[in-house]
Amino acid sequence: MNTLSPTRTGTGASRAGALAGPDPRPGIFDELSKRELRRAMLSGIAIPGYQVPYGSREMPVARGWGSGGLQATLSLVCDEDQLKVIDQGEDAGVNASNLRRLITEHTGAGEETDTRAADIIQSRHRIPEQPLTDGQILVLQVPNAEPLFRIVQEMDEQRRMHAEADYAKMWVWLYEDIVHNGLITAAAGYPVLVEGRYVMTPSPIPRWDVPKMNDSDAITILSAGREKRLFAVPPHTRVVPLTFDDRPFEVEYTPGTACRLCGSDDTYLVEEPGENGAPGTWSCSDTDFCTRRRTGDAPADVAGQPVELARAALRRATREQEETS
Amino acid sequence: MGYSGVRGGQEAIAAAERLARRDRLGGTSRWLELDQVTGRLGLAVDRVMGEAGLWAPELAARAIRQSRGDLLEAAQLLRAHRSTLPRLAYSSPVPAVALRPVRRIAPAYRNPPGGQVLGATDDYTPRILDLTDEDTARATAPPPRRPATAGAPVVAPDPTVPPVGLPPAGLLADRRDPADPDPFDITRAPARPGVPRSARLTAMARAETGSLTHLWYLVTQAPRNAQPEIPLELRRGHLPLRIEHPFTGSPVTVAGVRVSEARTVRPDARPHPDGSRFDIGYGLCLGDNEAKALAMAGLDLLVHRDKTTNRLEQRVLTALDGPELAGYLEHLKLPHYVDFRSIVDRLRALQAPDPEEGL
Repeated sequence: MNTLSPTRTGTGASRAGALAGPDPRPGIFDELSKRELRRAMLSGIAIPGYQVPYGSREMPVARGWGSGGLQATLSLVCDEDQLKVIDQGEDAGVNASNLRRLITEHTGAGEETDTRAADIIQSRHRIPEQPLTDGQILVLQVPNAEPLFRIVQEMDEQRRMHAEADYAKMWVWLYEDIVHNGLITAAAGYPVLVEGRYVMTPSPIPRWDVPKMNDSDAITILSAGREKRLFAVPPHTRVVPLTFDDRPFEVEYTPGTACRLCGSDDTYLVEEPGENGAPGTWSCSDTDFCTRRRTGDAPADVAGQPVELARAALRRATREQEETS
Repeated sequence: MGYSGVRGGQEAIAAAERLARRDRLGGTSRWLELDQVTGRLGLAVDRVMGEAGLWAPELAARAIRQSRGDLLEAAQLLRAHRSTLPRLAYSSPVPAVALRPVRRIAPAYRNPPGGQVLGATDDYTPRILDLTDEDTARATAPPPRRPATAGAPVVAPDPTVPPVGLPPAGLLADRRDPADPDPFDITRAPARPGVPRSARLTAMARAETGSLTHLWYLVTQAPRNAQPEIPLELRRGHLPLRIEHPFTGSPVTVAGVRVSEARTVRPDARPHPDGSRFDIGYGLCLGDNEAKALAMAGLDLLVHRDKTTNRLEQRVLTALDGPELAGYLEHLKLPHYVDFRSIVDRLRALQAPDPEEGL
């Protein structure tokens, strides 16, 4: 007969107190779970890029709609914090609005859209254009936590590869891509090497945003609720996209495009199709930054590395044109 | 500051909610009472409770009503609610004889002790759509009785229908774990390949019924699993919920649940040390859900047999959870224009002329 350990017995009341902890508001997330998340985040910060497993409670959003980011944010946010939530760079996006409402209803956090004034930024698929500063925390929602899932299927094998830093298959995969396609076709969620040790997915952010993760002043927490693991990039950590010496990392760039609203050509632009076959227009995906550019409240040159990479890509494109003509 | 820009998104969401609420509660149909859901759609209630991992018929009925009959969504609602509840205690193990069967069939035997007890089932009823007109159907309906889902009565085991015994010693591979580890709580720690069997069983007990059935079907058709599977016994009945008394320390029955339970065997005639014996698999889930119990038992057995690779174990642990798989599908409905643009960029780069071609 299986005997349960003594720690699992006790009176109902004491069990409830010990396990659920204080809960001043009718909660969606109990204090003990928040503590578990904080411990996991500290582990993640101590081992940059390492995937830390956690229990991952069911949240009142579908798995895949930011349940992991939501748990991280709810564990971090204090009443005096200013919270910014974006989806695809947009504060008004449906996922962002949905999560912002949920978090502010259940915490005392204030709502903020100005990246500079936010203490915690929960985001899906973007890192803001405004460089993040010391003290800020970026929480990224992660649909697929495992950068090796395209290469090996077994979770045991994935964990072994990470443990032994055996990323040979990953390099072969990138090499095969170049052999077959002439370039690396990985689009959003480009694999990165963190502090020279763990290969990590930066979540499906565009390649444009990947250099912003390198040597950032802010903490980045990446949390996957469905897959029940999180990982972190502490401030001033080396985050290097995987590529070869003779294949420079390329970010998204279309020559001659600029935001139709603010005129920027050094931000991540998304295309909006024109009506009836008319040519499409381009606009900033970061709506806060775009708004501030228009009012002159945004720095004239912030993108730094991404735009340099983009210009390198432009030079490459020009060279190609010259060569073919 | 700058908050006005986000109002549009929130107003759009609020408007979408109002429309959905009108679909749910508007119209001329009468108000749907919870006891109608628990009393008339009991199998749906059971399924939702099982997939949510929470025995609460009235709450499950609420979830079904709120989700307009979408059982996956109902299970997600109940799961999220369950997640906010404190865990008051861990129940004590109960032996198989404590289950009081209302149905028991033993396909492996013609006439087991206690007999075959068919119980309430439509298994043997022709699958003919009942087109009786409403008035006649109402007039011939049996008199009302206590609703089956109002909480299981606490009753002593029925000694006349004992569990079917295992195959004679020597025919059954010994799968007992002498370490007898504590059950793995999958709600507190992520279940990954290599977890104890209890984690697999819990994951399957909460699995989405259709996915579990599908996986069982898929795996059982594989040539290497060609040996026939025969359930020793399938039972449905009331199972007492016991905890240790906080003062006396002796077990007390505090509640009861209805469960479906299956035990299944499959020989393995391939040449290896246990080749001449049956393997046994076990399935137990909340409520009346015989398909789930059977598929679970079948998969429990096959995971054990899948010694050389953990792929089946991984699928059982990670590919069957209703809220997880439905949630991942749902996420496709969110905006993806940032990564779409990133992919378009790569495709355009692929179509651009190769810079090395002209060299």
